[in-house]
Amino acid sequence: MVILRYIGSRLLFLIPQIVGIVLVGFILIKAVPGDPATLMLGPMASTDSIAKLRTDLGLDRPLPVQFFIYLQKLVHGDLGTSWQTTQPVLSDLRTRFPATLELVSYGLLLALLIGIPLGVLSAVRKRGIIGKIGGMYGLVAGAVPDFWLALVLVFVFYSVLHWLASPIGRIDISVVPPDTITGFYTIDSLLAGNWDALGSSVQHLLLPVVTLGLINAGPILKMTQSTMDRMLQADFSQYERLCGLPPQLITRHAFRNALPSILTIVSVLYGFLIGGAVLVEIVFSWGGAGQYAVQGVLNSDFNPVLGFVIFSALFSLVIYFLVDLAYLAIDPRIRH
Amino acid sequence: MATSSSATPVLETNELTVSYRPYGLTPVLALRKVNVRIAPGEILGLVGESGAGKTTLAKAIMGVIPPPGVVEFGQIFFNGTDLTQQPEDELNQLRGRAISIIVANPRGELNPLLPVGEQLTNLARFHLHAPMRQARQLALDMLGAVKIPDPARRFRAYPHELSGGMAQRVVIAAGLICSPQLVISDDATSGLDVTVQVQILDLLKKLTRERQTSMLYITRDVGVAANFCDRIAILYQGEIVEEAPTASFFAGPAHPYSNLLLAAFSHHSALRKRWSREVAPLGQAEVGGSACLFADRCLLHQGKCFNDHPELRELAPGRFVRCHFPVERRSS
Repeated sequence: MVILRYIGSRLLFLIPQIVGIVLVGFILIKAVPGDPATLMLGPMASTDSIAKLRTDLGLDRPLPVQFFIYLQKLVHGDLGTSWQTTQPVLSDLRTRFPATLELVSYGLLLALLIGIPLGVLSAVRKRGIIGKIGGMYGLVAGAVPDFWLALVLVFVFYSVLHWLASPIGRIDISVVPPDTITGFYTIDSLLAGNWDALGSSVQHLLLPVVTLGLINAGPILKMTQSTMDRMLQADFSQYERLCGLPPQLITRHAFRNALPSILTIVSVLYGFLIGGAVLVEIVFSWGGAGQYAVQGVLNSDFNPVLGFVIFSALFSLVIYFLVDLAYLAIDPRIRH
Repeated sequence: MATSSSATPVLETNELTVSYRPYGLTPVLALRKVNVRIAPGEILGLVGESGAGKTTLAKAIMGVIPPPGVVEFGQIFFNGTDLTQQPEDELNQLRGRAISIIVANPRGELNPLLPVGEQLTNLARFHLHAPMRQARQLALDMLGAVKIPDPARRFRAYPHELSGGMAQRVVIAAGLICSPQLVISDDATSGLDVTVQVQILDLLKKLTRERQTSMLYITRDVGVAANFCDRIAILYQGEIVEEAPTASFFAGPAHPYSNLLLAAFSHHSALRKRWSREVAPLGQAEVGGSACLFADRCLLHQGKCFNDHPELRELAPGRFVRCHFPVERRSS
């Protein structure tokens, strides 16, 4: 009952949070110099036609009015139109956001599979070889840029070894993408039983996912290692050692105590990567949301940028909400 | 309750010397040739101020001296086996099973994410190899034995939901659940209210007597030791300076430091004043290499104290003191 009320109040808070984020995003985007009307009509356009387009787009009205109009449309699910793709932003993002989400989710999953075990092991055997490897890995992963690693992987596995299909897009041009259910090609093709599409999309995912996984395992490893280290030194672990409990059990208990910190870094990374994976998206011509937003910024195409901000903000808020629920499940001290 | 000295001691340390060797710094001796001996069922009180090496002794016995601490030499015999020669996994079998420790600040020592009943159950499962159901029952019985009200409910409580006294009882239950031969209590009740402290001590004494458990009772409070222990050993700067049966110790402590300790806890203001006067500052030349460790704080020091480190000697059967000029037993 208490839990339900907590969930309810958290959901209620989502609305002002979204409005706040839209406001900040709106102001920041309008502060960027650049006039879409000029860009849309090209360098040969007359001042009159530019002025007319500005009026049509509502760009001549005061900012608060523009913001209010934007909000009003937003309530009706209208995120405006992108003048570059000439499509409604909502339908653009419906295909592009899942593309990014699929990439980032698998990448993060791989990062967890690398970072957490390595972090735990290097905390348990601090002085051993694994501890050294862990420390080194964290350093290297922090120093190597993701796009560079992506290019190296493409060079090795595509150009030299020819193991993979050409690293462009999410699926081979010759393969028909599966019907959209979740927007994840892997899941949709699995659901449809379309093995060609599955094989092709997995092959296209491989390199970008490995790139994101290897790079982002760094911070996860660091956080796991330092938190586990602290927990293994904590009084309750020392006491369990004094009680002669088996080392594996002590490690397991310490890990449970370290879990909230690890969850925090994972949730921050997840939200961050939606936009932060854009360089990897560009290398692999992924056509995801990050790329879409960057194109929007470069061309003063405001609506895609704002749409992206809203989508990723919503996503982050949902993730943080889930993480808070997970904290509740893990730690009895915050339950009341 | 003094036990015959002929019985094989449960615990005996022989010239146990432990030092901390921080990297690049001079090593610090934490224990200097410490000999303690605890007979079956006996309670030895180890009294000393902070930094005297009490906890180091407890950790040495448990085999968990943290680095940079090392056992320089000496042995720790538990039922005749030298623990300093035992491999780590053998020691881990003993810890919590045959030798257990009751710690202070129990709410910080218990795992915050696990109900206390589960933590007790784990001990029974791993040390006694009891099946789950039996281990749970044992844990529940133990919570009852340490007089926790409504044990079935407290079984599922988390450490933060318990009061300090209650958590202390849980830690006592953890210390006794596997019926160990030796219990080490490391300043266990020091954080509690005085009234709760008395209750807990009574409980601890009753439970250990019932089970014929030997005990090393470490404390700073010499008054508590008086009510609780069969014998008393006074530790000063890692050295035992006096050891005696409780009654004869309190009848007349022989070492000046013991007198100082006792006076500090005394309600007799004249006595307190007599022993806690400032000691006259020393001339630099007087401090020799092998001085008595207490000499510079001692009210009764003489020239000999500064160049001849005293050995522990037997004043009367069972009474040992490390002093050239022990305090004469009061006639009254």
